[in-house]
Amino acid sequence: MAVIDQTTKFGKVFWPVLAWGIALIFFFPIFWMVFTSFKTDADAVKPEYLFTFKPTLENYLNMTDNYDYWRFAINSVITSTFATGLALVVGVPAAYAMSFNPSRHTKDILVWMLSTKMLPAAAVLYPMTFLTKNFLQIYDTHFLVIIVLCLINLPIVIWMLFTYFKEIPKEIIEAGKMDGVSTWGEIKDILIPLAWGGVASTALLCFIFCWNEAYWTVRLTTTEASTLSKLIEGNRAPEGLFFGRLSAVSTAAVGPIVILGWFCQKQLVRGLTFGAVK
Amino acid sequence: MANRTLPRLLQTPAVVLLLLWMLVPLGMTLYFSFIRYVLNNLRKPEWTTPSLSNWRGFGNYEYVLFNAKDFWFAVQNSLFIVVSILVLTVILGLALAMLVNRSFPGRGIVRVLLISPFFVMPAVNAVLWINMILDPVLGLNGIAVEGINAWVRGLHDFPVLGAFFSMWPEIEPISFRATQTSAYAVIIMVTWQWTPFAVLIFMTSLQSEDESQKEAAILDGASAWSRFRNLTIPHLARPIAIVVMIQSIFHLSLYAEIEIVSRGNGNKNLPYLIGEFTSNNIGAASAAGIFAVILANIVAIFLLRMVGKNLMD
Repeated sequence: MAVIDQTTKFGKVFWPVLAWGIALIFFFPIFWMVFTSFKTDADAVKPEYLFTFKPTLENYLNMTDNYDYWRFAINSVITSTFATGLALVVGVPAAYAMSFNPSRHTKDILVWMLSTKMLPAAAVLYPMTFLTKNFLQIYDTHFLVIIVLCLINLPIVIWMLFTYFKEIPKEIIEAGKMDGVSTWGEIKDILIPLAWGGVASTALLCFIFCWNEAYWTVRLTTTEASTLSKLIEGNRAPEGLFFGRLSAVSTAAVGPIVILGWFCQKQLVRGLTFGAVK
Repeated sequence: MANRTLPRLLQTPAVVLLLLWMLVPLGMTLYFSFIRYVLNNLRKPEWTTPSLSNWRGFGNYEYVLFNAKDFWFAVQNSLFIVVSILVLTVILGLALAMLVNRSFPGRGIVRVLLISPFFVMPAVNAVLWINMILDPVLGLNGIAVEGINAWVRGLHDFPVLGAFFSMWPEIEPISFRATQTSAYAVIIMVTWQWTPFAVLIFMTSLQSEDESQKEAAILDGASAWSRFRNLTIPHLARPIAIVVMIQSIFHLSLYAEIEIVSRGNGNKNLPYLIGEFTSNNIGAASAAGIFAVILANIVAIFLLRMVGKNLMD
């Protein structure tokens, strides 16, 4: 049924223009960061070069010298990738079991998993430092960052997978069982191909959250395993001297993730509301 | 049935990992909160290692509640920041979701532009806003104010009216690095980042709104406002509650933005205060940490109830 169109002529122009205007305002800070990244540090703070300037790539070319960008970027890629992989390896079987063989406790377990996400990180800051530094001696290692990122996101990963798996008819899995397919075979040959889209968007979202994490990656590393969050955090107050190069390194840090994010905006709702908003 | 154990086995790694992740550090925090434990103390070196012989009972809690000078300020400030962000994001989110929830040319691009801030990492968000936008001299804030001042100064040369304009004061740009104003800066940047989240959720929910009901209301002559008030708002009640609760949980533990914007200028929330305690007084940090857990749980219980309720349907 078509919606009755009540929009006046004025509204037909006004509301879209307003929507566009607000969207541009919201995007402006990102645009400004990218824009400034093509100015030299000297030009970036001169009002006369606010909009007109000679664009330069020097900030990007000098990113390694200025900030050692690639070391942090590679750390981010390594930790986020492995944390996401690990979360899927642990999460897929768990979500599979919960959606196809639920027990009386499944609901409680799921809710409990979510509750671990609500523990304020600051409350366990010292114990985590103490454990990893003095006791396990894994402070500032990729291994530690991977484990922590995985654990932070595991509840969301399991929840998302659970909501996707639940949409698959149980009969298909049952049919596989009748044919004598092993559990591993069921997951590999039936479940994953059917829920491929769901698994992929879960992975994508998990990767984004890992990349942007800014508490543990900053607090549990010093140099070896530091990620881009730590790099940016360490350059928080450039006193205006380095706006150009700071913009370039920031653009390089968020660019890939913002673009990835565009592809999974729909899944974001599911991932962050735990299926409570459809 | 034989396939009872296998499902359980498949869940075990996830459950065990999360159990360890939750219980071990939290148990240590609980333990440290009941003992005297400081990292540096020359007069009482025995306090620098955790031990049951330094038992202090509820002493750390008492200290945090009544003697630590910033605790209540930090709690108050945490709540101020969280509530401000919530009000702003919900109102902006509702308005924008309604605006984008109609078809117009370029709607897809508008959505992409609107959602982008959510994917910017918090550290970049804070550095970008506090330096390039809000800085009172070099940021757009300072440049804009200076531009207005220069323009007004230009008007001074106007015949007759010039005398009037020269009585206008020069505007001072707001500095966002003082205690109170840097809290505003944090609110602005987090609102910018999280409004897209609210928009996305409200939009998803608006799409499932019952159109025929709306049409009936239009035919009955209901005004746009009364349709919004009586149909849309009740439909959105649940998503609004979810947005409020999820954001509360995230923003109660806001850290990177505060650290970057206001390190050392007095603007602090509870996680930041715990971080400060952690540099020496672990007992107090742990007691404050337990308070943070309690605060988060008050919010979490409501959320979990709501999520749990429609879990199996």
